[in-house]
Amino acid sequence: MQHRLFAKLAAQLGRQQASLEWKWMNDAIASDTSKNSLQDIVRRRCLGEPLQYILGTQPFGPLNLLVRPPVLIPRPETEHWVIKLSEAIRPTAQSPFSLLDIGTGSGCIPLLLCHLWPQGSVHTHGVDISPHAIRLANDNALLAGIPPPSDGDYLKRRNTFGTTPANFLAPTFPEEAMQIKPPFHIITSNPPYIPWKEFLELPRSVSEYEDPKALFGGPSGLEFYEAIARFVGRKDMMTSDGVVALEVGRGQAKAVEELIRTTGRVHHTEIWTDPWGIERTVIGRM
Amino acid sequence: MFRLLRPFVHRHPPLYRRAHVVAANGNQAPANTLQNIEKEHERLLRVVERRITERQSMYSQLTDQMSTPDDIAKLRQLKESEPLQNAWDDWLKAREAFNETIELLTDSDPSMRALATEEYTTLTEQLNKSVTETLPQLLVPPSETAHLGALMELKSGVGGSESSLFLADMLRMYQRLANASRWKAQVVTQNDLETGGIKDAIMEIKGEGVYDSLRWESGVHRVQRVPATEASGRVHTSTVAVVVLPLMEETDGKNDDLFSMDEVKVEVMRARGAGGQHVNKTESAVRLTHIPSGITVSMQDERSQHQNKRRAFQVLRSRLMDRKIMREIEERRATRLNLVRTADRSEKIRTYNYAQDRVTDHRIGLTLKNLTGIMEGDDLQEVLDALKKNHDEEVMEDMLNSA
Ligand SMILES: C[S@@+](CC[C@H](N)C(=O)[O-])C[C@H]1O[C@@H](n2cnc3c(N)ncnc32)[C@H](O)[C@@H]1O
Repeated sequence: MQHRLFAKLAAQLGRQQASLEWKWMNDAIASDTSKNSLQDIVRRRCLGEPLQYILGTQPFGPLNLLVRPPVLIPRPETEHWVIKLSEAIRPTAQSPFSLLDIGTGSGCIPLLLCHLWPQGSVHTHGVDISPHAIRLANDNALLAGIPPPSDGDYLKRRNTFGTTPANFLAPTFPEEAMQIKPPFHIITSNPPYIPWKEFLELPRSVSEYEDPKALFGGPSGLEFYEAIARFVGRKDMMTSDGVVALEVGRGQAKAVEELIRTTGRVHHTEIWTDPWGIERTVIGRM
Repeated sequence: MFRLLRPFVHRHPPLYRRAHVVAANGNQAPANTLQNIEKEHERLLRVVERRITERQSMYSQLTDQMSTPDDIAKLRQLKESEPLQNAWDDWLKAREAFNETIELLTDSDPSMRALATEEYTTLTEQLNKSVTETLPQLLVPPSETAHLGALMELKSGVGGSESSLFLADMLRMYQRLANASRWKAQVVTQNDLETGGIKDAIMEIKGEGVYDSLRWESGVHRVQRVPATEASGRVHTSTVAVVVLPLMEETDGKNDDLFSMDEVKVEVMRARGAGGQHVNKTESAVRLTHIPSGITVSMQDERSQHQNKRRAFQVLRSRLMDRKIMREIEERRATRLNLVRTADRSEKIRTYNYAQDRVTDHRIGLTLKNLTGIMEGDDLQEVLDALKKNHDEEVMEDMLNSA
């Protein structure tokens, strides 16, 4: 029985990947985090559903995050640059930073930073157009023990994470989103960046399970970067020592770097490569 | 034979009235017991006595006002050697009581003789314990690795799939031992064989004294049995190689005294195409290479890169720590004619013979006729204790040789 199940999985994923996922499936069942039977799990996996959705979690740095369709599953590339960012910038509780995360999804970026930076050193805010994402991000904040912002004195000494449902591309942003109070010290974003023609070539586990609105970055894939550049270029959106950290798709780094430079406000830029050698993150400093 | 260094007071006043010694008509042995013990442990006693003399002279050097910085240092040393002084006092007391008892063994009063015989037995035990346990333990410096847990690496060797099957049995044996000892055991990584069994595995075991208990498990373990897969009933011999490393705490790849970050190359294992939003397959395997030593560690059992990296760094640190410990033992050995051997990890240390239901440890020539009990983890402790005792004796021997 077990043998047949495993053989099924191996036929789908290849033996090596199958034996790893087999172990994770069994671990999840043993630790009770998955309420499904092994049979169900394997069946769904063989239909192409991402393992993370089936198991309901994805570790991200030292955090263990909840994942739920159709909210984008946090990627290892993102984990990598966020940890690097947490080491490159060290805010302190003496002068706490405020951070805006655009298209927060599961909340992975601000939550990990809240977890890694000293208590009271950062107040983060995530915006997302998807109500699923907002709900998931709030659930994850609860799980990670990161409180929402409040005027309470006690919470001022903690790192905080708040969410706002909002359309970042709307001309009324951020004025309509009352909780969002510029200027920000840091803007992070892993915005949808897949261009139209690449969208059609995505593996099914991505295109059929993850929210297209989380992936599709307009015909060129750069639509959100253009909006972010306009946002950064506006007066009073960022502090004079602000930092922008943007994840980009393969081959987009130079164009995005150029976009944020043309704001006239970003003076130093850097491009970070991911562990696979692909230019993945554009860092801009005011 | 041994000078009394401090006048001592008998805590218990002598129990018996003195009687005159009746002509010795029994056997001579009781009177010789003490001499024999002292003869057998002569070197030990001499070393202890010298330590005690030094202690006395240090004591007398303390200034009256306790005013110099030297005094503080001396006080600390005195404090540290206090247990040795107490043990020595106990030894001297027991010795004196023993000599008194000897005379009473031949007392004319039978009830007195009976009492004395009892006392004789107790004191003999006490004296023996002093020279075989209490004093040696106080002389040997405390283990520097006493607080460390262990990482146990098992690799299948000769014997193909039978070796992998036995590896699975051994893994279970150590897990059960850990449970019984209230240690926390967790398999960090394991590579299963398609045909059943485990090709290799790393297990983390946390708890006080784990490394010191398990370190002598390093070496080649040999099994002789009829494999479950063997139809003809022929006995096969196969091996599993075990390396026990000191468990180092996890650090997220920060510099420390064992290596610096720029000596470590971190690589991801598989290609990922465009990566990022384009791909949601879990690819978390990482490989570290410590360039100066050439040590590589691959880890893929965890679901995130971060976790795999932490694990891999932990294994790397443990391997480097192991090398450091081995190097130090080698250095000491070179300078002091040390007896303590660095375990030669290619040496066959133990045989598990199923047909004869026995386990033999070749290093100390210990054979236990209870293979099942050992494989169930219950009786393995007996082997570990014997190995630890053997090690302690070697260390003691060294102490005496170099003293
Ligand atoms: C690629 S996902 C990134 C999610 C998460 N930050 C991460 O790194 O895993 C992009 C996110 O942007 C959100 N989004 C898409 N269009 C948006 C818009 N116009 N305004 C705000 N958020 C939007 C999507 O719902 C999605 O959660």
